[in-house]
Order: sequence, then structure tokens, then C-alpha cells
Amino acid sequence: MLSASERETRPDSAGFVEKAAPWIVTIASLVAFAAAVVLMIEKLMLINDPTYVPSCSINPVLSCGSIMESDQAEAFGFPNPILGIAGFGSMALFGTYLLVGASASRWLWLAAQAGATFAFGFVCWLIFQSLYRIEALCPYCMVVWLSTFALFWYLSLANLAAGRIPMPAFLEPAANLAIRFHGALLTGAILVVGLMITEAFWDYWQTLL
Amino acid sequence: MSQNLKLSATLAFLALFMVVIYVAAGGNDTPEAAADPELTRADTHFLTKAPDDKVTLVEFLDFECEACRAQFPTMERIREEYDGRINLAIRYFPLGGHQNGMNAALAVEAAAKQDALEDMYVKMYETQAEWGESPDSKADLFASFAEELGLDPEQFAADVADPATKERIAKDQADGAGLGVQGTPTIFLNGEELPSMPSYEDLKQRIDDLLQE
Repeated sequence: MLSASERETRPDSAGFVEKAAPWIVTIASLVAFAAAVVLMIEKLMLINDPTYVPSCSINPVLSCGSIMESDQAEAFGFPNPILGIAGFGSMALFGTYLLVGASASRWLWLAAQAGATFAFGFVCWLIFQSLYRIEALCPYCMVVWLSTFALFWYLSLANLAAGRIPMPAFLEPAANLAIRFHGALLTGAILVVGLMITEAFWDYWQTLL
Repeated sequence: MSQNLKLSATLAFLALFMVVIYVAAGGNDTPEAAADPELTRADTHFLTKAPDDKVTLVEFLDFECEACRAQFPTMERIREEYDGRINLAIRYFPLGGHQNGMNAALAVEAAAKQDALEDMYVKMYETQAEWGESPDSKADLFASFAEELGLDPEQFAADVADPATKERIAKDQADGAGLGVQGTPTIFLNGEELPSMPSYEDLKQRIDDLLQE
């Protein structure tokens, strides 16, 4: 029964993923771009006035201030939001370009894939640093995490579905499975991060109960 | 409903279920709340005291908390400016998530026994970037701070190890928990909990208003 339904659902999901990807890439990039702009502005205010309390420093856990003052906030020697503004800005352009119906060459798709893969890796590192090293959360950063997850996931699946990423035959079932369960897997990944946040700041959340 | 939506909903319920189980299992242990919490007690440490009790500022803090370190310069500025004109007390509230929050509190309390509370308090925040967020115990580093401050190292070690020192900190924590302290820094001005991380200007305004009453 599963194999029969698989034959039916796989092309459906692949088609859906390919149609949804430009929308998700565009919307997620715009959202992340906006968050990066806000973070950059807050960072500039903080540089001008070290006593400035960022708008998202709400309590000891939700505290952009302690995040922005960390070394990790300048992972490459300059404020991270600069990367976000350039990267998500380009990605939003790419998404819009696809949305208006233009077809992109394979190298453009792969360049976007490279950017999204880097963004995803960097975000995973930042999540780890935020939860277990700095031990604070920054709401705008979390918006970027979420957008990057969605962007990376659907861009990757669209590239896989269209066969733009060369793939050894033995990995194809896994790729098909990922395409078929696109939404559930993304939800699962977000829930895992959510559970990590719940656990890491348990002491704090408990006091709010 | 599509397969993906159904599966996503199932996963979300599963996650919620895990949290519920975790809560039911007791989660992490947090300090017991005192039944009759007090903002200050006879043994509370004051950084400065006023002849009158017009203004009393009490800060619950954790030496490993970065937000407390961010608040520290403001508190020092207030202490300098209102030295001898207001009561300014600090109370220990080491958070469970910090490996060295308790070690640091023990070191400060042990220093207090040798009349070096202020020096150690300042030292902790000035050096926090060097030892904060470490997964390893920094008790040895704190002992070296004591030596730098010219304290008797043997007495210091004995006081850090003394169960009474830990109990003294637990008492502060229990008062804090009883007063509804959720995180650090939590600052009370004449019994009223201030918004998280008040600025110098905000504190100054509030204190001046109270002093003029």
C-alpha cells in the first residue's frame, strides 16, 4: 500500500515543493532581511552609546544586549547582521526573480544553494552559542533562525526535486522521502530547537509558570 | 488535511507531551521559596547605608549572569553618587544554569567574612568575561582572587568549604524566590520591583523623587 501511494504522492510533493520554493525563499528572506536591518540599527545604537538598552532586551533570558556584546556577534570580525543584510537581500532578489516567472540558470540556483547552506550552518552554530555559551535569547535572531531553516530547507528540496544537485543513486530514496515529508520534517527540526530552548532555559521558564 | 500537516501536528503534540512529562518529573530543582520572605535581613550585605531608611535599593544578583554584569556599572555609579545617602544591598541569587554562579557567591561570602565583600564583588564582575559561561569549576581561580586581594588563603578556603556559607546564600535565594524573583538582576526600590535592568537615569529619577519626599 505504501509503495502504491508513494508512486502517487511523490510527484505531487515534488511539484508542490518546486512551486512553493520561490515563495518561501522570497518571504523568508524578506523577513530575515528585516530582522538583520533591525539588529544592525540596534548594534549601531549600542556602539554609539554603550549604556543603550536594545529594544529586545526584555528580561534576563530574552536579552539582545548580552548577545550583541558577545564575541560571537562578530564571528568574522564585523557585526553578523552585515552578512544578513547582504545575504538575505540577495536571496530576496533571487526569490522575486523566480516569482515574476523568470527562469534561473542552474549555476544561479546552485549559488543560492551555497549561500543558503552557509547560512544554515552559521545559524546552527549561532543557536548553539546562544543556548549553551551566551545563555540568552535574542528575539530578532530567532526570527532569522526560523527564516533560515525554512529558506534552506525548501531551496534544497527544490534543487533536489529538479535534479540540479548531482546525487548518487543510493541517496535518492532519502531525497524522495525528504521531499514527500517536507513540511513534517521542517516542523520536526523547529520543534527540536524549541525543545532545546525549553530545556536550556528551564530555570527561567519555570519561574513564569 | 494533507499528510504533512497531520504529521506536523502529531510531532507538535509529541513535543508538548515531552515537556509535560519533564514538568511532571520535576524538571530542574529550583531554590525553595521562603514562607516569610524579607527584602533585607540582619545579615544582609549593604554596599552603602544611609542614616535614615528613606531609600533602600536591593539587588538580587548572580555573579555569572551577563545581564548583571551589564547592570554593574550603573549600580556602581548609583552607589558612588548616593554614598551614605541611600541603603544599597546586594543579595545572592545564583542561577541553576550557571556552573560557577554558586562558586562565585561562595567566594564573595567568604571574602565578606574577611571584610572584603566589596573588593570581591567588584572583582567578580570585572573578571566575569574571563571565567563566565565555563563548564568547569573556577573555585581555584576565585581562591587566587582572594590571594590577590590580600586575604588569608587558609581562612578563605575554610569559609568557602563551610556548609554555613552555602546556607547563607541559600537563605538569600529563598527570600528572592519568596519575593517572586525570576531571574537576575532583579532590583527592588523600597519594596517595589523595578522593571528589568533600569538605566542610570531611571534609577536616579526614582531615587531623587523618594529622597525629596
